[in-house]
Amino acid sequence: MNNKFIIASLAILFCINLQAQEIVLKGKELFGNLKARQIGPALMSGRIIDLENHPTNDRIIYAGTAGGGVWKSSNGGASFSSVFDEHAQSIGVVKVDPTDPDNTIWVGTGEIWTRNSVSIGDGLYKSTDGGANWKKMGFENSERISSIQINPKNSNEIYIGVLGALWSDSSDRGVYKTIDGGKTWNKILYINQKTGANEVIIDPKNPNIVYVAMWEFRRTPWGFNSGGPNSALYKSTDAGKTWNKIHNGFPEGDLGRLALAISPSNPQIIYTVIESKENKGLYRSDDAGANWKLLNGDFGLVVRPFYFSRIVVDPKNPDILIKGGLFGSISRDGGKTFKNLGSMHADIHDIVFDINNSDRIYVGTDGGVYRSWDGGATMDMVDNLPISQFYHISVDNEEPYNIYGGLQDNGSWWGPSSSPGGIEARDWKPVGYGDGFRVLRHPSKKIIYSEMQGAQNVWRYDIDRNYTKNIKPLPIKGEAELRFNWNAPMAVSNHHPDRFYMGSQFLHISEDMGDNWKKISPDLTTNDPAKQDKESGGLSVDKSGAETHTTIFTIAESPIDQNIIWVGTDDGNVQVTQDGGKSWTNTVANIQGLPKNTWVYHIEASTHNKETAYAVFDGHTTGDMKPYVYKTTDFGKTWSSLVTNDIVGFARNIQEDYVNQDILYLGTEFGLFITIDGGKHWSRFTNNMPATAVHFIDLQKKTDDLVLGTHGRGIIIIDDISPLRKITQEVLVKDIHFFETPPFTIKEESGFGGGSTELQFKGENPNTNAKIIYYLKKRHTFGKMTLSIQDQNGNKVVDLVPGKSKGINIVNWNFRKKAPKVAAGKTLTFGGFTAPRVAAGTYNIVLTKGKNQYKSTITLQNDPISLVSEKDRIVQRKAAQQLFDDMQELAYLVYQIDQNIQSAKNVSKKDPASQKITSSVINQLVALKKTLVVTTGDNYVAEAEPQLREKLSEVYSDVTNLFEKPSSAQLENKEVLETRLHNAKEAYKNIENKQITKLNKYLEKTAGTPLKIITKEEFINK
Amino acid sequence: MNALKSILVAIILAITTSFQAQTADEIINNYFENTGGKENWEKLKGIKMTGVMKMQNMEIPFEQIMMTDGRQSTTIELQGNKMIWAAYDGETSWSRNQMTMEAEKNDNEATEKMKNLIKDWPSPFLNYKEKGYSIELIGNETIDGADTFKIKVTKDPIMINGKSEPNISHYYFDTENYVPIVIEEAVQDGPMKGKTIKMSISDYQEVEGLYFPFSQSSELQSIDFKEFDIDPEVDQALFAFPEGK
Repeated sequence: MNNKFIIASLAILFCINLQAQEIVLKGKELFGNLKARQIGPALMSGRIIDLENHPTNDRIIYAGTAGGGVWKSSNGGASFSSVFDEHAQSIGVVKVDPTDPDNTIWVGTGEIWTRNSVSIGDGLYKSTDGGANWKKMGFENSERISSIQINPKNSNEIYIGVLGALWSDSSDRGVYKTIDGGKTWNKILYINQKTGANEVIIDPKNPNIVYVAMWEFRRTPWGFNSGGPNSALYKSTDAGKTWNKIHNGFPEGDLGRLALAISPSNPQIIYTVIESKENKGLYRSDDAGANWKLLNGDFGLVVRPFYFSRIVVDPKNPDILIKGGLFGSISRDGGKTFKNLGSMHADIHDIVFDINNSDRIYVGTDGGVYRSWDGGATMDMVDNLPISQFYHISVDNEEPYNIYGGLQDNGSWWGPSSSPGGIEARDWKPVGYGDGFRVLRHPSKKIIYSEMQGAQNVWRYDIDRNYTKNIKPLPIKGEAELRFNWNAPMAVSNHHPDRFYMGSQFLHISEDMGDNWKKISPDLTTNDPAKQDKESGGLSVDKSGAETHTTIFTIAESPIDQNIIWVGTDDGNVQVTQDGGKSWTNTVANIQGLPKNTWVYHIEASTHNKETAYAVFDGHTTGDMKPYVYKTTDFGKTWSSLVTNDIVGFARNIQEDYVNQDILYLGTEFGLFITIDGGKHWSRFTNNMPATAVHFIDLQKKTDDLVLGTHGRGIIIIDDISPLRKITQEVLVKDIHFFETPPFTIKEESGFGGGSTELQFKGENPNTNAKIIYYLKKRHTFGKMTLSIQDQNGNKVVDLVPGKSKGINIVNWNFRKKAPKVAAGKTLTFGGFTAPRVAAGTYNIVLTKGKNQYKSTITLQNDPISLVSEKDRIVQRKAAQQLFDDMQELAYLVYQIDQNIQSAKNVSKKDPASQKITSSVINQLVALKKTLVVTTGDNYVAEAEPQLREKLSEVYSDVTNLFEKPSSAQLENKEVLETRLHNAKEAYKNIENKQITKLNKYLEKTAGTPLKIITKEEFINK
Repeated sequence: MNALKSILVAIILAITTSFQAQTADEIINNYFENTGGKENWEKLKGIKMTGVMKMQNMEIPFEQIMMTDGRQSTTIELQGNKMIWAAYDGETSWSRNQMTMEAEKNDNEATEKMKNLIKDWPSPFLNYKEKGYSIELIGNETIDGADTFKIKVTKDPIMINGKSEPNISHYYFDTENYVPIVIEEAVQDGPMKGKTIKMSISDYQEVEGLYFPFSQSSELQSIDFKEFDIDPEVDQALFAFPEGK
């Protein structure tokens, strides 16, 4: 009794719980098989940080990238595939364990070429299966790992060089060592909170000898400093127990970043490239660092040490060395003289020589990996690394829509979201040089706006006239110089198509597409002179404009009211005007919990309410890695935070859903996060979506495609996110819920496409099929589950493969039914594989799961741009159906013939006396069959003369694939073939009546069994 | 009420401990236990699978025979022609040339791979230690929306274009029933080399005491099984290379 009571109470308790508790699905449980599509492009590729080859297998090479993770090639660099999707995508170093090179790979995350736009890492990783699985090995706060050195005689002894935090003090820097394979680490060389290890190398012949280059460096949002009294070169000869500076022969004064390399074939020879005020350049030591001599101070060696500090020595020849740089420099005389490497993308970060043949060289640049077969003289680009680094993207409203965007050191581009045969390199068109940032399409004209760094050029490009004009706003006489951010904001008005905005420290407006400009604001920034550093760089002045600060960074005109404009600045102001710029209010003081002067990365003005806006702040350039996302519903008087612990990484961009205001899309340093409840819970989207930095998000209004501009993995699209809008608590409690879908268009397309080689990256096209979308409460694993389409009368049209994931499932239907049964011949007839298309209309969806059946409907419509009349469609459908029937009729006829031939052969074998009768049957039928299907030849150049089947299937296929009325030639041809089919059936009937009947009578007489042939219906359904 | 509380606590404890205490071996053992028992899997000599393969627009009926001694044969029906499409008789692996539809021997590496498959059937996990395979529980992962244990199996290295390469697969076992619901393997050759292909498996049903998945689908193709015939009578002609033809 007591037990019963407890069980009953338990049951009640669970029920109550179920009813009271909100169902919150996270991540894959919610997204099911909703999947992202990576479209690259790869033609400009992206920044490579570190290359690493396998010590014994020259086919294997790894590329560590700036924002696209680690890529592995197993075919000598012909093609690469990504092996690090789930982890921080910014890579500092990749190292293959020399004693277990097939399996053990180490990756230190966090880029070490410390430009303004670098991403961050989150520690050290190890794989013991060649990159299939990765385990974090600590160093969570290291931000950037520069070096991993493994004792070639003892895999458990490893040195890690940590460069460390770029924008803040940190004690997670210096050199660390493990002697137990990474279980425990000791810090063995540490200078201070500003100085990190930028290169650690060990003597390949004596692993107790370790060299370390320490570098003092720091970035702020407005400046960069390389060098100081703590930069130095150290050596240890006792495996890191004690260290000595080895500066004999070095220049006087502070040092900056030191490149460092040891000759693998002669470890006495060491090279370093020294950043200093005086006597900078390449130094060589021939006595393992005891003495140094300056050999060369060429531009190619000393330019931008923070960006280029890698020297690599030929593994076989200590006098051949390559230094990374603007173009890359190679010396064949031990460093006395240099020449540039062959022509390739500028900004060379790393080089590796092939293990067997030093003429084969791989080079990592700002524009991907290049290969050389002639010692670096000529360079060939790898065409399949889609690691492009977008700063910004936008979309237009064409069909298919285009995507526009600017990239780090790779200009600005636009290309289609879909293209016949896949989105290829040649589909992308350039629309700007230098570093590209924002690219916007004029709302109604074939005009594109683009820019290069710091608004040095702002282009208005007329697509049809192929004409460009620089429309950059200029300072007005007697007024302040304009300060444009490196990534200068621009915006197109939602209300006046020719209206165009740009932000310096002022907001500029043009009513004529940039020909004339007017300022509509005072300086909206803090205009803090302390943050306007004009001599950035430290020991090596680096004036690129990348550090220009106290500028406007984001402009958002309300889509509801043209007088409401939001402006966010890089020094932390959130300004709003409600009167078209006459008056401005800085609302940032109303935001709780936000550190002062945090960079306003993005403001999104709501499409639902004009009082509502979202603001995303990014403090990473001051060392603050937390996400800040706020919403106001009263023009900024009050703000509430939308941040939860679900969000990983600092945030840069937010996109509001156009239909359901509770849905928001957030781009962070480590991927895409989606909320469907207004920010109460966030889910990371990981279906084919790597943990890459999402810099900008746009939502295409017609297709509901979410388009992401990532800084390392190119453009990533989630096609049609509308199912997310329909997730409600009512849906989540159901076992199966079909989402209503709009009618699907049967596109009238059949073009050509695909001109890429198999080694060129091709972006996947969106699926243009009809989609059956449903929610499953539980993953289907046991028992039968089927999904079929029926017509309105309940006749089955086709069986589809159902999705069985928990969460959202999307099943594609290509508008086709089953292909016909085809007559058996010696070879195949390709037209016979054609499946007929269904007509527009409404169809039933029947999902069967175990004993339960669930039903819904789906509607198909004809292409609205079609020129085909309904009358013509009816003629096409009728002819196609008749030809389909002809195909099956012929198939059955040939089947009957084959059955009779086989049976007659069997009888003749068993009963030689029957031979006269059976051979007559066989001869007659074989002769008839020869006119119906090919009975000889192959599918290629030994093809037989086509017979009725081949001719019929050709016209069947042609007519079936048409949308319009068949031509009179096709109809005549059909008639001719149908007459032949009719005659063939008559001929068979004759044989049946005579020879076959005779055989059957003979069999009856001799107590044999006459052949019984299944009916046509049975044959079709067989 | 106190009793109720302690029961609840006990239930929660039971759930959490069973979750934590899993090792790869326990998961595998549960899998065999839940799908018919290890002994019965060991007794299996061969199987004939009948079904339909769906690729793009095509539906291809097939019969596939797998024997524990490694012999296998796949017969397909294409436009009314039933033919052995690919087979391996224990020594020679062969398939049909798509131009001539005639049988041709596969290259030596493909044949070697077939030979290695003996160990994978009916499951790479069955007596994996004796086979020289190793398994590792990588962790818990959500896949197809379901909670799973991700288990890596490391098999014998294989020769690819003249070089020996490591050979691993990942199996995702449903935490509820301990059956694999997803298998992931990397493409081993060609320009897609290294890309992971995911195969979802489902529709487990019982056949003579053993549970088989009646549905397998990947982005390339899907297979619907209609029948599993255990220990079928087989003709050696199904496997042998048709000499002189």
